[in-house]
Amino acid sequence: MLPQVLASGLSAGSIYALMALALVITYKTTEVPNFAQGDMAMVSAFIAYMFLTDFETGFIFAFGAALVFAFLLGVGFEGLLLRRMRKPTHLNLIIMTLGFTLALFGFAGWKWGADQRQFPFPVSANEVIRFGSVSISTLSVATILIAGILMLLVFAFFRFTKLGVAMQATQQDPIAARINGVPARAVVGLTFGISSVIGTVAALLTAPLITLDPTLMWDALLKGFAAAVLGGLNTPVGAVLGGYLLGVIENLFGAYISVEFKSVVAFLIIVIVLWFRPSGLFGRHHERKV
Amino acid sequence: MSFFAVDGLTMRFGGLTALDDVSFEVDQGMIFSIIGPNGSGKSTAFNCISGIYQPTAGKIYFEGEGISGLAPHHIARLGIARTFQNIELFSTETTIDNLMLGRHQHMHSGVWSGVAMLGRATSAAREETENRERVQWIIELLDLVQVRDRPVGELPYGTQKRVELARALAMEPKLLLVDEPSAGMNADERAEVAERMRELRAELGVTILLIEHHVQLAIGLADRVLALNFGKPIAQGAPEEIRQHPEVIKAYLGDG
Amino acid sequence: MVIEPTRDHYEDIQLFTARGSWIKLALLLVVLVSLPLLLPGYRVFTLNYMAVFVIVGLGMNVLVGYTGQVSLGHAGFLAIGAYTMVLLMTRLAVPFPFALVMAGCVSAFFGFLLGLPALRLAGPYLAIATLGFGLAVTQIIGHSALFGGHMGLVVPDAMVGPFPLLGDVSKYYVIVGITFVLALGVRNLSVTRVGRAFRAIRDSEIAAATMGVDVAYYKTLSFAVSAALTGVAGGLLALMTGFISPGVFTFTLSLMFLAMVVFGGLSSITGAVLGSIVMGYLNLEMDAFQELPVLGPALEGFSARFMSTVGLPNFGWVVTGMLIVFTILLEPRGLHGLWIRALDTMKYSKSADAELSRSGSGAD
Repeated sequence: MLPQVLASGLSAGSIYALMALALVITYKTTEVPNFAQGDMAMVSAFIAYMFLTDFETGFIFAFGAALVFAFLLGVGFEGLLLRRMRKPTHLNLIIMTLGFTLALFGFAGWKWGADQRQFPFPVSANEVIRFGSVSISTLSVATILIAGILMLLVFAFFRFTKLGVAMQATQQDPIAARINGVPARAVVGLTFGISSVIGTVAALLTAPLITLDPTLMWDALLKGFAAAVLGGLNTPVGAVLGGYLLGVIENLFGAYISVEFKSVVAFLIIVIVLWFRPSGLFGRHHERKV
Repeated sequence: MSFFAVDGLTMRFGGLTALDDVSFEVDQGMIFSIIGPNGSGKSTAFNCISGIYQPTAGKIYFEGEGISGLAPHHIARLGIARTFQNIELFSTETTIDNLMLGRHQHMHSGVWSGVAMLGRATSAAREETENRERVQWIIELLDLVQVRDRPVGELPYGTQKRVELARALAMEPKLLLVDEPSAGMNADERAEVAERMRELRAELGVTILLIEHHVQLAIGLADRVLALNFGKPIAQGAPEEIRQHPEVIKAYLGDG
Repeated sequence: MVIEPTRDHYEDIQLFTARGSWIKLALLLVVLVSLPLLLPGYRVFTLNYMAVFVIVGLGMNVLVGYTGQVSLGHAGFLAIGAYTMVLLMTRLAVPFPFALVMAGCVSAFFGFLLGLPALRLAGPYLAIATLGFGLAVTQIIGHSALFGGHMGLVVPDAMVGPFPLLGDVSKYYVIVGITFVLALGVRNLSVTRVGRAFRAIRDSEIAAATMGVDVAYYKTLSFAVSAALTGVAGGLLALMTGFISPGVFTFTLSLMFLAMVVFGGLSSITGAVLGSIVMGYLNLEMDAFQELPVLGPALEGFSARFMSTVGLPNFGWVVTGMLIVFTILLEPRGLHGLWIRALDTMKYSKSADAELSRSGSGAD
């Protein structure tokens, strides 16, 4: 039983880790927790669905279209809305993302209705692969693998490519970066684009598991935040670890204690962790100078 | 037992030592000035005294009682008020409301009496009118009558600095910490500031602890001066001594 | 030093500064009292709904507007208030007025509890924690038999002393009456010591602390007050709808609550009231967009061509979301901010006129 639970924990945790990573990437650059991340991903997943069912394209094309859409949505949100705010206080930025998420949610419900749809996917949630005595669904395996590979790619991008390093530099010291010729604005827009893509991958992996409807990513968003908070909102590695940890803890709780209140675990974790370490397990608190 | 004393005050942030074994005493009614180049730890000292930072080591005594480690609002209630180098006004509030915040600890109305304020006779209403009358003289003293009802965020810099000072005075403090009152001012304005400080000490009897980057102003105004450099005390004594002290001169001219 | 009062300081906090204000108040009361008698039944229901939203708006105003702390979980307090009242009335036969007061108290207690960890949390962390709180409340309610689970609870008939509250009109007087009193209370709070302390914390926590404001106490207090107001609103919501279930208290509802005060103008009571009325109406009428005079058929047509017709009620969320987006983008101070801008332009043009007339008539 235990290896089974751990496997589902890792699978769920992969989704949470992806969301957490997406959230932390934009938070590090702009200090804005992007509450619209979930619904941005959800709408992108619907775009994929549209391509698959209405236009009857293949999986690769549909998913590709969804990712491109996601990227543009992210860049557009930042460039057209966030950047143009008159009074970009932290509170206002948070509220802006909330307004955007509400509009996206309404849009999805309006365009596609609230019906729950089956999301066609190359890998099924019902078939299993056996590892000795443990059977894991092929979808779970695919989720763990795809998420893992994506995260490694993202880390490699930030660490080893010129663009990625430039983006990191902008996060750490915008003025120095600009002096060195890094266009700060483009970097911020790009950050939102990349983060949107990461979130969409999470959505595409979630949709075949539960049905596709506008509330698709609510749970994942909250868990993503919980994971990011657990790790510390400004450490990507911490956030990813937090995601896996949350997935495992949640599934252990559900298996051995109570399956009904499984989701409350995320909230409890948030409260407990923040009570003892207000900046997350690995985060660092930024003191303002007076 | 002195009125106010700092003993071995040390403040470290990670690897950085902002204050290193700073000690000094202030007598009641004195104007005591702390000078030093930028980054010498002056504001850090104020932040320790007003309770924003917990000192890494050392003690602070006010009227014989240790206050290091107390929360800022406790320290305020003991009678210590301060202004800030980078103005920390309640920018969306009017001048009078900022001053009324200064009266916070002298007032009592809570949620229930606040909610039930129906008419002049209620305790909350009487408290409001009485305290507004009380701060009226501060408004007149610091020439803020014109801007009494304007949101302070839109006031010019010099006026804002006066509002900060007024707000601190509204607390009726025994000890007033003034952080760089002459920042951003020209010679005439600086003279005004100095005159105002003397006036306050003379009329209110308030003890003033002053951070000043501008050495001349500090020397001309203070009864005693402490010079800091890189968090360490380099000289302490009467203004004339400090002015001619070689270490002080070196610190300000800089050697790097 | 002798202090001679040179002005009437009470004017600063007086509610009615001009004699005309008394007349305006009387007019308002006349309108409020006579509305339910003039409108058809279902409209009175709408008014009740808007009044409930106004009370929540006052609560949000205290927490978000005054103290500057964000909450994405206020639907949770609404639920706590509603369920407390209904359970007290059904299980313990507590009379309605007392049950309503308890709804506020229990909710205040939970507000205080949420406020405690909130003390140590900065902006985004706080938002996340409140988000989790709201979701946790609905999860717990939805999964336990005590609270009726997903099926919900029926609200028993309410009596105020010997008078039964049957029908929307009698409920209207209770609900709107309570709303009026609470609005007055919040207004009074805002011009006195506690309200000032709240706003000080929003503008500069550090300065507030050095002025003697116990920041921790006031932050938790604002959570408690805000929760109390919302809890009472929850009880009144139960009263007027007759039935409560977890499906009512969603995250999107919490977002709508935030939207109301942002749109109306954070830290302005009239702004909160206006914003709440607009959003309350919007939330209620979401299922009936097609019935709007000109817009209705246009929307239906548009939906049929490009969107889904069955999903039209979601248009309401799009509108709410866009209202928030454009408010924050263009006039972050909301309707109240627009009002201030209008006043400033009038002042400016008046003084410009004065300038012109002076220079015109003088000799130069």
